[in-house]
Amino acid sequence: MQTHKSLVSKYLFIVAVLICAFVLMMGFKSSEDTYKPTRHTVTIFKMKFNPEHLVVNKGDTVVWINKDFYQHDVTEMTSKKWTSKPFNQGESWSKVITGDIKYYCDLHKVMKGTITVAK
Amino acid sequence: MKTKARYKLTVICALVMATSGLMMAQDAPKLTDPEIASVAVVANQIDIDYGKVAIKRSKNKEVTDFANRMIEDHSAVIDQAVALVTKLGVTPKDNAVSQSLMSQSKETLKKLNSVSKKDFDKTYIDNEVAYHEAVIGAVKNVLIPQAQNSELKDLLEAVLPALEAHLGHAKMAQSKISK
Ligand SMILES: [Cu+2]
Repeated sequence: MQTHKSLVSKYLFIVAVLICAFVLMMGFKSSEDTYKPTRHTVTIFKMKFNPEHLVVNKGDTVVWINKDFYQHDVTEMTSKKWTSKPFNQGESWSKVITGDIKYYCDLHKVMKGTITVAK
Repeated sequence: MKTKARYKLTVICALVMATSGLMMAQDAPKLTDPEIASVAVVANQIDIDYGKVAIKRSKNKEVTDFANRMIEDHSAVIDQAVALVTKLGVTPKDNAVSQSLMSQSKETLKKLNSVSKKDFDKTYIDNEVAYHEAVIGAVKNVLIPQAQNSELKDLLEAVLPALEAHLGHAKMAQSKISK
């Protein structure tokens, strides 16, 4: 009697461990392996970046599309660390986002925007 | 001090003239689309002409960058306007407003060409601020409300934010120069 009971509980314990392991693996899979970076679009139109403020995940790509008949650029604002160089109507420029960004158009210095990485 | 006061007076005079010109335009028979097209082309060409003087006379990168931007952007507007009137089959028509803009610009060009090198940057940028303010007023209050063709209206509405961006940019340069 005693041995039969302990066998059942041993069996149940193993099943529980297997389920736990399975759930954990699924969890890791969805959070690490299956996250696909997304592409976001910022439209440049009528002298504005739209959306002006954008929140993305680390590793996402942002594409800026110029819909104005004026040239624009996308330039890092604090120290001009990087720039797209001027691009024309119908052209676009993209960047993989690894951290928060403040940018502006160096041609039209009043045009500004931000990219924030979601925490 | 004396030149500064004289300059202020000139700007005020120019603004009064521009405003009265606009008032007349509002009272006078409305501007037709071909006339609006002419005003648009002339107003853009004037700022290109100012920019060309600035590139020739200024040594300040802030000023020459701004002037180059004015030449590029206002040329782009003229290209759009020409493409539109060609498409619509209309010929821009000379009128009182474009003539008054022209004659004022001749005075300003004379001043920009004759002012001392030392005073050039400030004279140019102060004029850019005043000129963009006046043109924004004209586009907003006269040209857009009076334009009949919807594509012409759309074009003028696309020009307005650029003029405002230029004004903001000119004011930034102005505050740096006067320091
Ligand atoms: Cu721009």
